[in-house]
Formats: sequence, structure tokens, C-alpha cells
Amino acid sequence: MFRILKKSLKTGVVTGRHPPAIQPSEPPAPEVRKKASAFNRSLAIREVDTGSCNACEMEMNALTNPVYDVERFGIHIAASPRHADALVVTGPVTVNMERALKDVYKQTPDPKLVIALGDCAINCGAFKGSYAVTGPVDRHIPVDVRIPGCPPRPADILKALTDIQERP
Amino acid sequence: MAESRSCDEVLKAAFPSIVQKDEVQKEFSHFLVSKDLLPAITRYLHTQPGLHGRLTLLWAVDNRPTRNTYGLHYLFTLEPSHRWMLLSAELAGNDRLFPSITPHIHAAQWYEREIRDMFGLIPQGHPDLRRLVRHEHWPKGTHPLKKDFLWDHVLGRQQGEHHFRRIEGEGVFEVPVGPIHAGIIEPGHFRFSVAGEPIMQLELHHFWTHRGVEKLFEQQTLTAAVPLAERVSGDTTIGHSLAYCQAVESLLHLEVPRRGRYLRSLFLELERLHNHLGDVGAICNDTAYALPHAHCSRMKEQIMQLNDRLTGSRFLRGVTRVGGVAIDLTAAQLAEIVAEMDRIEQDFSELESIIAHNASLIDRLETTGVLTERTAWDHAVVGVVGRASGLDQDLRRDRPFAAYDELPVKVVNYRYGDVRARMRVRMDEIHESMRLVREVRLKIPQGPVAGEPSRVAQTGEWALSAVEGWRGEILYMVTAGENGTIQRCKVRDPSFVNWPAIQWAVIGNIIPDFPLINKSFNLSYAGNDL
Ligand code: SF4
Repeated sequence: MFRILKKSLKTGVVTGRHPPAIQPSEPPAPEVRKKASAFNRSLAIREVDTGSCNACEMEMNALTNPVYDVERFGIHIAASPRHADALVVTGPVTVNMERALKDVYKQTPDPKLVIALGDCAINCGAFKGSYAVTGPVDRHIPVDVRIPGCPPRPADILKALTDIQERP
Repeated sequence: MAESRSCDEVLKAAFPSIVQKDEVQKEFSHFLVSKDLLPAITRYLHTQPGLHGRLTLLWAVDNRPTRNTYGLHYLFTLEPSHRWMLLSAELAGNDRLFPSITPHIHAAQWYEREIRDMFGLIPQGHPDLRRLVRHEHWPKGTHPLKKDFLWDHVLGRQQGEHHFRRIEGEGVFEVPVGPIHAGIIEPGHFRFSVAGEPIMQLELHHFWTHRGVEKLFEQQTLTAAVPLAERVSGDTTIGHSLAYCQAVESLLHLEVPRRGRYLRSLFLELERLHNHLGDVGAICNDTAYALPHAHCSRMKEQIMQLNDRLTGSRFLRGVTRVGGVAIDLTAAQLAEIVAEMDRIEQDFSELESIIAHNASLIDRLETTGVLTERTAWDHAVVGVVGRASGLDQDLRRDRPFAAYDELPVKVVNYRYGDVRARMRVRMDEIHESMRLVREVRLKIPQGPVAGEPSRVAQTGEWALSAVEGWRGEILYMVTAGENGTIQRCKVRDPSFVNWPAIQWAVIGNIIPDFPLINKSFNLSYAGNDL
């Protein structure tokens, strides 16, 4: 017990110790903010990987570490699409994942936001044109917010997510 | 060398009809065999005590445009000497059957199913001929790696359903999980059969993220495909790009300058560190012990921020290039890295003692998800998982690449094969990587960091390369095409061989322990599915 306390005291508060967002992201469209206002600054996110290289996932995971700590902004990761307000989709949509993506979209209650995370989700990135890819995401489901980058840095993702929450 | 030659002689004596190809520059023996002999020879290689061959890679090539044949290649590592032995067989262009070696060599099962899906060649005698990469809704006759299949072909859809192996009986029921999971992880499907709590059978249904990587390589040129290699499995950016570049360098007869080699080792260790740190925390987190997770993910973040400061990419993207590395580090930056290592090592050691003193955690990890040495060997398991099950293998020591010939690595080895062993392998490797980073700083020579190619590869020349990434052995086989293009690129992430083994490690465990076992393997879906 003493050891744990000592460690925590020694470490101190690390939240916010990260470089600022640099990728200039466009402010979300007014409709998006209007849609998001229904969630009252609390956003439950379901992450869906439709064929990413897993770096985008790792950066989403990084958001939950003590340095970025998204929960302090009322953003949390829901375990099921049925509990989600927003879907974060990464990766070009592969032939094998196409149906699962559409299912998840259907199962997410309205109103909902769809956030395309990373170049792959926005325009298929390095996998554009492949026989196994049917994407990008907005070919299959409507996309509200796009966060470019390969992968986008967590600080940029955080900024884009908190931008959505601002009042219209 | 003498030892390896004697292995060749042993094989030639046992099978007089095989032909040895004399390729002096290649550091392995290469035999041409007829396809009917394949099962017998591979079995001999695998089981003969002095040879002890581990199936390392199995790939096919469509040579119909030039020679009207398909090529099949079986790469074995002879464990005692760590030497490679390659068997090649040819199939006439209109012959679609080849004998399966899976009945004797378990490790071949996914490779052969993959060949069937990608080339339409049928492994005769394979016990399980269901589709693997192509899910059932892919139309019949679509085999993407055949040369007459267009890379941007638009696939139709057919009706079809995947059939899982069924266990029937009173009280037995199935639990489907996936492809979309509860956490932020990649897609994959797991089908459990349980009676009460313990798992009787687990079956994997993967390849959801199949993006056609190997076909995409064929649309690239040798020197321009590095970014694609970096995106095979994002968390192994350096591992994959390095293995790819090494293969291309041996095609171009390109010597990487010493400083470039040292930097490659340095970046590979940084990648190993941030992944291992994340894994140790995540294993604890899956037992609901959140404190180490918070600390570990903080340390992982420190390393990723360090990567970002050094190279402009948190994942070290754009660092490797054909011929060396794209980024040189100043003495001040090297000092910064070592200072950061010292801080994190101190930090991590304190955390380790907290973890080691938590009896309930250790109790949860011990004897959970045991992968026995025998099963690991049968599946030719590699990397962290293999080293936790008593397989003493590490390419950094066994087939030194980058600067590891001058940076001897102490290979970690545990025997128990449970979750705790896999965690301890990672913990020990964290210390070892930090030591290596310090050693790089002391030994790194001055000079250029990259060489320029002076030669173009001839059409049909090919090269193999292997890198010990943080998960394990990454293999690339690259064949050059005309004018510097790529004719074929076989990619093998360690996940591809380790995934089937997890089906055995979970048997008898309870479903709530599955996430923990899965985390302790921590395999890539993207690298597996390609
Ligand atoms: S955008 Fe880049 S990092 Fe993200 S999944 Fe695609 S290739 Fe990977």
C-alpha cells in the first residue's frame, strides 16, 4: 500500500502533458454541432475498425491514457453500439467488413454522429483501389466529421472531439 | 558452415532424386524437389532429430506468364544451427493439385489454406478445406494473387455461410464473439464451445481486415513500397519496413552503412519498448488491476512522444528507407534518448516491484492459458509467445541483422507458457532493450546513414529477409519484376503463425479469462489478415 501511494505521489499529475494539436482541423459544420448538442457535452463513442492497420486504433487507445484522459471531457468509450452516440470508424472498408459496418450503423440509436478517423477512413489511404476494399466510409454510411492524418495524433483527435461538443 | 553442409548431405543421402541449387551468394541451402516427394521430405526435415526443421514460411508464386508453372516454396529453419533450408517444387500451369503436408506438419495448415484461397491450388489431403481469407460471400473462382486477376477487380457477392466445427451434447452451447469487440481493438471472430464455464473448443474466424496488401505490393516499385510495408501492421512500423528494406537491399546488392545499421537497431528497440510497455499494462488491466495500466500507458506515451520529437512520427513512420534510414540523430538526441531510458527504467522497476507484490494478480496469471512447449513447437510459434513456452529463439541472436552482430542480445526464456511467463518475457525484454539502446549510443560509429542503389534487380531475382520485431519473426520474400517493379511480395507477420496456437492455449480455461490470454498473446489482426 505504502509503495503504491509513494509511486502515485512521486509521479504526480501527468494529464495534459502533451504537445498541442498541430493539424489544423476544420471546425465542424453547424449541423454537426446541432446534432451533438443533444448529447449535452457527454459523448459515448463506439470505435469500429473496418480494416485499419491498427495505428489509428492505438491512437484512440492513447486517448484513454492518463496523459490525454478523454473522460475529463465527458467522452467515453462504450462497449456496444447500442450505448453509443457516435461511431468512430477507422480503416478503408474491406470487403469482409462492409456488412458488419452497416449492421453497427443500424444498431446505433438515433441521433448519432459518424466520425471518420484517419486517411484510410476518409479516402482509403494506402489501400485505395484494392480488390479487397470497398470504402471509403462515406460510400456506405453518412459521415459527419473527418479527422485526417495517418494516423492523426491523439492531441488532434482530442481537439476535433472537443470541438464537436462546443455549442453551435 | 561445415555443420550446415552436413545437413545438406544427410538430406541428399536420404532423397537421392533431389537437386541442390548452387547459389553461392545466398546464405541458405536450396533444393528442387518433385511435388510428390514433398510430404516425405518435409516430414523427414521436421522429425529427424539432427535436423529438427521448423516450418518458417510457405509461399506460392504464379509463374504462368513466363514459365507456365506455379512455384511452391517451403522454408525450414534447422533449429540446432538456425540455418535455413528451402525446398522448391513446381506445378505445371494447368495442374491445380499439390500434396498437403499438414497431416505431418501442423504449422502448414493456414499457409496451405491461404494458398488455396489466393491461387486456387488445392492441397490434397488437407484435413480442413474451408475458406480462410476469402469469406464465404466471395464469388467462386476469385483468386486474387493469380496474375490474371486484376488488382482493382470489383468483387461481386454470393450467398454463403461459414460453418464452424460443432461440438454437440447436453449442456454444450456456443458463444460467438466479434467481429466487433467491446474494446478498441481490431475485428476478428471467436467461436467458443462451452459446457458450464470451461472452454471446450475455440475456433477463430479471421481475415476481416484483409486489404489485399500482397497484391498492392505488386503495383509498386521496389524502392517506393516502403510506406505500404509500414502500414501492414501499424504497431510494427519499423519491423515490417525494415524486413522489407532488407529484402530489397539484398536484391540490389546494397550495403547499408554501419551508422545506418545502428540506427535501425535503435529504432527497432524503441518500437519494442513502447509496445511491450503497453502490453504489460494491458495484461494487468484485463485482470481489472488498473493501476499498472495507468502507469504503463503513461510510460508508453512518453516513448511515443520521444519518437515524435526525434522523427516527427509517433510510430516512427518514414524512418526506414531502402539503403539505410532517412533520419540521422545528433549526439544530443542520442543523449536525450538515453536520459529518457534511464528515467523510464527507474520508473518501470518501481512498478515491477508493485506488480510482483500483488498476490492476487500473480494468482490470476499463473497457470492461465498454458501453451505447452510441445504445442508451441508443433505450431512453429515464434517470438514472445514462443520464448514464454520454452522455445529458445530470437533472430537478433540467431541470424543477426541490422547492428545485432555487434550488439549481442541476451535472449529471455521461460518455460511455463502461461500468461505470467508471457508477461515476464516482456518485462525482461524491456530491460534488455533499454540496455541495447544505451549500448547503441556508446558504440555507434560516425558516417553516412544510407547508401544509394547502384544496380537494378534482374527480373525474377528474389530475396528473403527476416527481422525480429517486437512480436516475433517477420519474414518478407520479394521477387523483382521488370524495371524495378515487384513481381511478388510475400509478407508474414508473426501473428499468422501464433494465432492458431491460441486455440490450444485457451482449452480448459474459463471464458472470462479469454481476454486476458488473448492480451498476453497480443497478436495483430491487420498483419495476419494482410
Ligand atoms: S490512416 Fe494510416 S494509420 Fe490509420 S489505419 Fe490507415 S494506414 Fe493506418
